[in-house]
Amino acid sequence: MKILKDIRSKYPNEFVLFGIFVFLFVVMSILSPDKFLSITNLQTMLFQMPEFGLMALAMMIAVLTGGMNLSIITGSTLATIIAGFFMRTEFVQNNPALGTLLAVLMTIFIACMTGVLNGAIVAYIGVAPMLVTLGTKTLFEGLGLQFTKGSSVSGFPELFNKIGSGTLFGIPYTLIILIIFTVLSYFLFERSKWGMEVYMIGCNETATRFSGVNTKATLLKVYIYSGLMYGIAGILIASRYCSAKTDYGSSYLMQALTAVVLGGTSIAGGSGTVAGTILAVMIIQTVSTGFNIYGINRNIVNIITGVILIVVLAIRYLTQVVIDRKKIRERVSQSRKTA
Amino acid sequence: MQKIIEKITKKKELGVFLMIIILSALITMVNSSFLTLDNIFDFLRSNATIGIMAFGMLPVLISGGIDLSCSSVISLCAVVAGYMMAGNSGMNPVLVVCLIMLLGGFMGLINGVIITKLKIPPIVTTLGTQTIILAGVLLYTNGMWISGLPQWFIDFGKFQLGSIESAGKLTGLSTQAILMFAAAFVTWLMLKYTLVGRGIYAIGGNRRSAMRIGYNVDRIEIFIYVYAGLMTGLAAIANISIVGQVDPNTYLNYEMDVISVVVLGGASVMGGVGNVFGTVLGVILMAVIKNGLVLARVPTYWQKVVMGLIILITISADVINRKREQAKLVRVDVEE
Repeated sequence: MKILKDIRSKYPNEFVLFGIFVFLFVVMSILSPDKFLSITNLQTMLFQMPEFGLMALAMMIAVLTGGMNLSIITGSTLATIIAGFFMRTEFVQNNPALGTLLAVLMTIFIACMTGVLNGAIVAYIGVAPMLVTLGTKTLFEGLGLQFTKGSSVSGFPELFNKIGSGTLFGIPYTLIILIIFTVLSYFLFERSKWGMEVYMIGCNETATRFSGVNTKATLLKVYIYSGLMYGIAGILIASRYCSAKTDYGSSYLMQALTAVVLGGTSIAGGSGTVAGTILAVMIIQTVSTGFNIYGINRNIVNIITGVILIVVLAIRYLTQVVIDRKKIRERVSQSRKTA
Repeated sequence: MQKIIEKITKKKELGVFLMIIILSALITMVNSSFLTLDNIFDFLRSNATIGIMAFGMLPVLISGGIDLSCSSVISLCAVVAGYMMAGNSGMNPVLVVCLIMLLGGFMGLINGVIITKLKIPPIVTTLGTQTIILAGVLLYTNGMWISGLPQWFIDFGKFQLGSIESAGKLTGLSTQAILMFAAAFVTWLMLKYTLVGRGIYAIGGNRRSAMRIGYNVDRIEIFIYVYAGLMTGLAAIANISIVGQVDPNTYLNYEMDVISVVVLGGASVMGGVGNVFGTVLGVILMAVIKNGLVLARVPTYWQKVVMGLIILITISADVINRKREQAKLVRVDVEE
């Protein structure tokens, strides 16, 4: 019990989020145990969550600096489209193992390059991140459309499609990938020098620069890391669909931002935890999969996601107000006593 | 004379203005039908929706906020207008326009109250309301089109002020263009000559100072979002009067277009900067790019690439310019 209290006082936000997740999961299970708790359903959830989680991490790192990355979806689809064309060449068809490896590396490289473009304009020219990524979002989408002429690229080697559908001892590969990158993100954001600089930039960029941090290089790395995350998410999406297209995963943009904010990351930058973001991803995934099973309209799920976002933030603000008032009252009564 | 030139070159809008002239010249070289009166009136008409919404978005951006929900609000307004008028020819036109604008304003009121009273950042609030409103509209309509708008409304949309012969056709200023100019004029008056308008700049410049001066910051912010909603309602009327039917799905991603237009016109997303003249230029630039790419026979898929590049170049140039000016100011300080 004491451990529980410790965790609660140390990570109040994550504690509440975990509570909401458990509550939702239990409610869904009680409402339809035969459908929601079935192995196939849990597996579908586990297959879908990783790409969403990685997109949320890609968004989160940009939000931590006080920015935003609206190009995560089109950047990832552009990378997978180019890699998709590469995978249709004769070379890859003849050497599937080497070809798949090269295609994966190629996707990650291109996604990181799109990150370099974002980061260079944000850091070295100094344009507001939201505008830069708004422009690059259109740019990447246009390039992707130009390459595919609006249709999809398919015909990937079997090995590549395995990434999104294969399992290791019953655990999907995609989930293992998500866990690896969640742990990596945790150590990079919250336990490294670079992560510390990222949080500092989110709090006050000028002060950070004057305290001797090379903010430009740090910001550039932020967008490259964001590119790495959405590149990997793109690989998972492409291999699950066995094809690549510009509008795959387009609903993840708003969902990713919702998850990041719901997870307790301040939209102004400077605070937020990886655990919170992943918990928020789990909450949203539970809600959308659960409702999907009952055949509830997709739009109702969207409405509920939106309501959750606003209500959680409102509750967070109102509790803060209550806590502040309590403190003020305590101080007043204390000062009266001493007087 | 030199003073006038200096004054002009110091204007922030010069970059956008030059861009419009250069692009127009380039497009005219490729296709001479670009600079005909007929085409100009046509692109004013087809860009009126974005234009009207841009004049609603401008005060929001000046105050340092953002309204992502406008694309869903216009969808809602268009759908409600469609249901109100479809198969119902007896409606009073003025009443319809007023009711739809009020509906938009009410949605803005919800945004404003959540932002000011619950202190949720504008970008998060409007992202949430965007999702909720659009999902509600799609849930109710099932994404179906609404047609059968009354004849008077179709005529209202086809009305043209004046008739000038151009390119073998009679053309005039369309209803939608008139609505856009009216919106521009009202916004200009509001921003320049009213207490609220000056308050909006004050909030964008420095919120705390605005509060200390004595502006009721919360009330002004609510007004800003209501105003954006009113304009979005008007834009819905303009849009369905062009198309003649209502498709709840067409307005997806409109908020991005609207924000880019306002930002191209020199408003800063950080707040405090921006004016109506700049936004007008922004609307024209976007219209020239869209229309010009079609006339210059650029393949459809390249158009998005060009749009993205132009947005990136224009905002980067703006920031570089501002930095250079600031560097100059610093040097003057040091030398003195």
